[in-house]
Formats: sequence, C-alpha cells, structure tokens
Amino acid sequence: MFVRRMAAITAVVAIVAAGCSSSGTPAPAASVAASGGGTGAGSAAGCIVGVSWNNYQEERWAKWDEPAIKAALAAAGATYISTDAKSSAATQTTDIENLISQKAKVLIILAQDDSAIKSSVATATAANIPVIAYDRLIEDPKAFYVSFDNVEVGRMQARAVFKAVPKGNYVFIKGDKADANARFLKSGQDEIIKAAVDSKDIVNVGETNTDAWTPAKAQTEMEQFLTANNNKVDAVLSENDGMAGGVVAALTAQGLQGKVAVSGQDGDAAALNRVALGTQTVDVWKDSRMLGKAAGEAAVQLCNGTTVDKISGASPFTTPGGNTVSSVLLKADPIDQTNLNDVLSAGWITKDVLCKGVTAGKVPGC
Amino acid sequence: MTQASPGDGLTAERPRRSIRSLLQSTEVDTRLLGMILALAIIWVGFNIMSGGLFLTSRNLWNLSVQSSSIAIMATGMVLIIVSRNIDLSVGSLLGFLGYTMAMVQVVWFPTNPLTWLIALVVGVFLGAIIGGFQGFIIAYGKVPAFIVTLGGFLVWRGLLFEYALGQTLAPMDPTFQLLGGGPTGSLGESYSWIVGILACLGIIYSLISGRRRRRGYGFPLRPRWAEVTIGVLGCGAALGAVWVANNYFWPVELAKSYAQTHNIVEPPGGLQIPTGIAFPVLIVLVVGLVMSFIATRRRFGRYVFAIGGNPEAAELGGINTRRTIVSTYVLMGILCSISAAISTARLNAGVTSLGVQNELDVIAAAVIGGTSFSGGIGTVPGAILGAVVMQSLRSGMVLLRVDSPVQDIVVGCVLVAAVGLDTFLRRGNKR
Repeated sequence: MFVRRMAAITAVVAIVAAGCSSSGTPAPAASVAASGGGTGAGSAAGCIVGVSWNNYQEERWAKWDEPAIKAALAAAGATYISTDAKSSAATQTTDIENLISQKAKVLIILAQDDSAIKSSVATATAANIPVIAYDRLIEDPKAFYVSFDNVEVGRMQARAVFKAVPKGNYVFIKGDKADANARFLKSGQDEIIKAAVDSKDIVNVGETNTDAWTPAKAQTEMEQFLTANNNKVDAVLSENDGMAGGVVAALTAQGLQGKVAVSGQDGDAAALNRVALGTQTVDVWKDSRMLGKAAGEAAVQLCNGTTVDKISGASPFTTPGGNTVSSVLLKADPIDQTNLNDVLSAGWITKDVLCKGVTAGKVPGC
Repeated sequence: MTQASPGDGLTAERPRRSIRSLLQSTEVDTRLLGMILALAIIWVGFNIMSGGLFLTSRNLWNLSVQSSSIAIMATGMVLIIVSRNIDLSVGSLLGFLGYTMAMVQVVWFPTNPLTWLIALVVGVFLGAIIGGFQGFIIAYGKVPAFIVTLGGFLVWRGLLFEYALGQTLAPMDPTFQLLGGGPTGSLGESYSWIVGILACLGIIYSLISGRRRRRGYGFPLRPRWAEVTIGVLGCGAALGAVWVANNYFWPVELAKSYAQTHNIVEPPGGLQIPTGIAFPVLIVLVVGLVMSFIATRRRFGRYVFAIGGNPEAAELGGINTRRTIVSTYVLMGILCSISAAISTARLNAGVTSLGVQNELDVIAAAVIGGTSFSGGIGTVPGAILGAVVMQSLRSGMVLLRVDSPVQDIVVGCVLVAAVGLDTFLRRGNKR
C-alpha cells in the first residue's frame, strides 16, 4: 500500500516538475527583488512594498507591469515582494495577510474580486498600511486608485469606428459578462454613438458577451451575425484585441476584411499589425509601463508618509458605488494608421513585427 | 431462435407491424435515430424562430466547420469514457498544442516552405507523447484518471502561459490556414461530389458485404426492404449534405477578387463558385471512419469495450488492460493535436485562451451522443452527432441573438435532460 501511494505521489511530483522545469521565469510567489542603492531625492530605503497579483499568468503583468513597478521602487531603494492569487479571491485574502506579516508598508493590489477584497483592504488600512488599487477599482474610500480610464477607452473605440462609419449596421462583441471592465467599455461606447442610434443612423444588428474574452468564441459569434444579416455589417465594436482577431478571421472568410471597421484595445502585436494592414480600424493602446510606474511612484510617496490625497497628480474620482477615492487615471492612446509611430518610438513593438506583410511606405511608420 | 431460418426476415412471424417492430427489424440503433430526430427538431425549431435563417446552406456549412474541432476530440473521448476513465485535460492540451504549432510557424521556422508540415508533425508527436505520459501514470501508476488529467488541465495551460507570456502569434502559414476551412479551404464542387459518391458506394458496399457475411455464418438477415431503405436514406443523406455544401457559394467579395485575379468576366449577379465540403469537415469524416473502424472492428477497440464492461473480467481474460488504457490516451492526444491544428488555422492565430472550456464541450458531446459513464457503452458516430447538437444549440442561439448567460443555461439543461431521458428509456427497456 505504501509503495503504491509513494508511486502516486512520485507521479504527481513528476507532472508538477514537468510544469516547473521548463518555465523560464520563476513563479512570482514570494519572490523578492533586491533593493537598489536608494540615494535619490524620493528615497524610501528599506520600505517594503507588497504586490498582490490576481492572475500573474496573463501576458501583460509579467511582461510590462511588474518590471515597471520594480524599476520605480528600485529607483527609490524600496523592496518589492509579491504574491499571485491565481484567479482566486480566497487565495488573495491569505496572500494579503502574508504580505502584511512580511512587514509590507504599502500594498499594491490587483483585485480578483472588487467586493471580496474589501475586508482585506479594511484590515490593512486599519493597521495604517496604505492600499493602492491597481488597474481594477476597489470600492473603498481609503484606497488609492491607479488605472486607465476604461470608460474613456470605450469612448475612444467608438469614436474611431464612428468616424470611419457614421451610418450603418453595428455589431457589438463584448467581453466576459462577469468582468466590470466589459460594462465600463460598453458604457463609453454607448455615450459616443447614442445620438446616432436614436436617430436610426446606427442599427444594432448583433450584440453578445463572450465568455472569458475568447477569440475563437468571438469568431463563431461573428460568423453567426454575418449569416443573420447576410453580410450587411458595416462596423464591429470589439472590446479587446483578442476578440478583434476572431472577428477579423470571420470577416476574412467572407472577403470583408478591411471593408468593415473593427475596434480593439491592449496593443497586442498581432492587432497592431492588423491596424498597419488596414484590417482593424483602431487599437486603443494602454501602455502598462506607465501604469506600473505611476503605481510604483505612488507607493514610494506613501512609504514616505504622504497621504493618499496629497500624492502628486492625484484627483478625486467618484466610483460607481458612490465612493470618492483619490486616483490617478492615465489616458490611453488610440492607435490607427496615422499614428503607428507612437508604439514604435515607445519601444512597445519592433518595426518588423508591426509592418509584417505591409507594403513599405504605405502607412506612416512602415 | 433455432426456428428462424436464414433468409426469411424476422418480421415474417409478426402479425402486427408496430413502428417499434419495424425499427427492430431494420436493426437500426434506436438511440442514434432518436438523436437524429432530436437534431431535426432543434434545426426546424431554430429555422422557424430565426425566420428561415438556420436551414440555409450558408448556416449549415458554418455549423459543420464550427462543430469539427469538438467532434474530432469527442471521438477519442468516447473510447476513454467507455473504458471507465475521463480526460479533463483536452482543452488545455489543445491550447498548448495549438500554440506550439503557431510557434513553429511564427517563431521557429517562419521562412521554411514546409513550415505547415513541420508544425503538424511536431503537434501530432507532442500530442501523442503527452497523451501517452498521462495514460502511463493512470494505467501503471494507478492514479485516478480524474486526478491525473485534472493535473494535466492545470499543467498544460500553465505551461502555455509560462512560455507564451500571453502573446498572440499571427498569422499562420497560408497552406496551414487551409486546414481551418473557409471558402479556399474547401473541396470545391466536383471533389465534393466525388466524396459524396464514394460515401454512397461505401454504404452500399458495407450493406452488401454485411449481408453476405451474415449469410455465410447463418445469421438471420435483415429483410430486404430494410436494407434498401437504409441504403437509400444513407445515400440520400450523403448526397444531400454535398448538395447543401455545394449550394453555399463563395462570398461575393471573395468571388469578385477571384474573378479579377483570374481574368474572368463576372456574369451579371456575380460569379457563383460552389464552396463544397470544408477541409475540417472532411477531416472529421475521415477521423470518424477510422475511429469507428478501430472501435468496432479492431481487437484494440473490442478490448476497450471489454475493459469498460468489466475491468476485472477483462484482465483475467488475458487482456493487457494497462497497455490498452495507455493507447486510448495516446489516441486522444493525437486527436487533440488534429483539433488544435484546425482551431489554430481557423482563427489564423495562436492564442493562449484557445480551447478554454473545450473539455466540457467534448465530454458533453460524447455523453449526449450516448456514451455511458458506467463504462462499456458508446459509439463514435453518436459522439460526432452529439458535437453537432451542442454546436447547433450555440450557433442557433447566437443567430437568435440570445446572450451567453442564457445560452449556458439552455445548454446545461439540454445536457442533463438528454442524459436523463436516455437513462430513463434504457431502464424502461430492461424491464
């Protein structure tokens, strides 16, 4: 019996090892970045900043956000520690307790669930540990909110598409039904096109949520909307780039790529390439490095005893829940064929990736 | 039975020809027939509700392509569930293999003209190895399949995120893209008819050879009219499907650019190019045939069903149960890679979320198709039909503009109702 049980355990360990051995970067759980020299003016030497990621496995956190936060903290001599809740609100609660017991002075939280996180935030602020709500809102007047303005992102998407197609049949491919950002984006889009919808210039010929923002599902949805409308679709407001990819694949199968306006956001390499090729109208680009930098710098100021309302650049923001929080809301940059140079000069993407398959000199930047 | 002499059909002694006895004399799988009936009801229902949109060539063609990835994996899931195991890792594995194939084309060998072939070979081998590895732990390590594949579900998706950093890889190789269907990734008119006619000949041949074999062994024969009816209906279905596929013409824009590049003067009303059977659908047909053959005509398949029926008896009977189980998982891995190629090609991009929740769709398709969790029962055609039923519900509801939360509710209810009804009927039959 014992042998068999050991065999089972070995097997499990083997699977886990297979998963871990090939992973390039170590898991962020409790990884500690060495603190820099820290002699600058905004020095916060010795200050420990704890970051609670909700799901580190998504592309951007590891690639863009974390290095930016780390750099901002290292510049001031603060120490970075982090945990990953792996998409579980319960795990995030224990994560935050862990960070506090590791003597974190400031917490940066990317909330998995904006309501479930409240008690953890209350515990922290009661112990005089300031909390920064990173990218996702936390409904607590004491938390400092750093994000892109998602309603504005929705407006930017709609503005660009509306400019290209002021009249016609619109399809709305929305994100996951459980994600508040999907609703923020839609409300921003609605603001821009409301008048045209009321005057019947714009007709809503299809609208659906897409589970987990899955591109393949968005593709199937788009195929069905095209079938239902006998290809009479003039514009698609897709809430992000992944789904826009599915939409463009469905359009391509009908030979409609480039003839139908499509929106997106995130600045995915493939999507920016589509913008250069002309198959996607706009890609609202949120430079996560700016967000990470803003959060890191806010954390350093909080380390030094600055109160949340005195942080540089902070302004009050009224939440949907009726709270007033101090916040820094960054502006996104809608990328279309005219300003591709923005992403190039920022080092976000290389020219050969951006311009793959684009005739040289056809659009500025390529 | 001893009285029934070969040649005179079983129906001869029956004075009352009820529908049931008619069906019995044709020896048609009543469950399969019930599913076809259910599918017909769903299709007609959607067609009425959508104002005639559902039963158009275009929508049915779309539906066939949309179902193909799940259908292929479902054929393998049948064997796994029949042998009283389960595979929860197929969605993650599909994502992992699809992304790997995208890596081959975009990162590793972007300029090689045979990059599509390399991608496929790498994908299939990796699929087989991973499947075999999981199967090995299940069969030889005696770890429950649920746990091993639950682990796989986490590991393969995790590994994918780890080395992908979530980045989308696009575009795929043009030849590889053909696997995903689309008007260019289809057989075209004449080849589609050839496939249809071949299918027809195959049905007739199998009926004749089956009859001859039965006569040789002295088994009771089906009445002649039943054979003819099956033949006519089967041929009709095959040729009808080809007719539907050929009736979906190339989208206007594509036809226009085709005419321009080939210097064809467009006739008034545009060029009408029949699309025909899409490649992914052709792959489903081939996979379905091969898997059916393996499941019902090969020793391996019989072993799988024997193990599912009674594992102890199978083992005592001299079947190498462990090796058989490992083989089912190797097959599953290979099928995952085929599905991965199709979905990646169709989307024309490698994305990290490929195949999310597919394990549930695949298991649901197999179960709706009559595969029993108690083991030993299940058919490959049933599973393919199950996948079509699931996708019909989804696509139909999008056509009716039903939003995803309601879609989930409906699909969930249908799943439970289908299996519940099936169990109820089977219990009724036993009494």
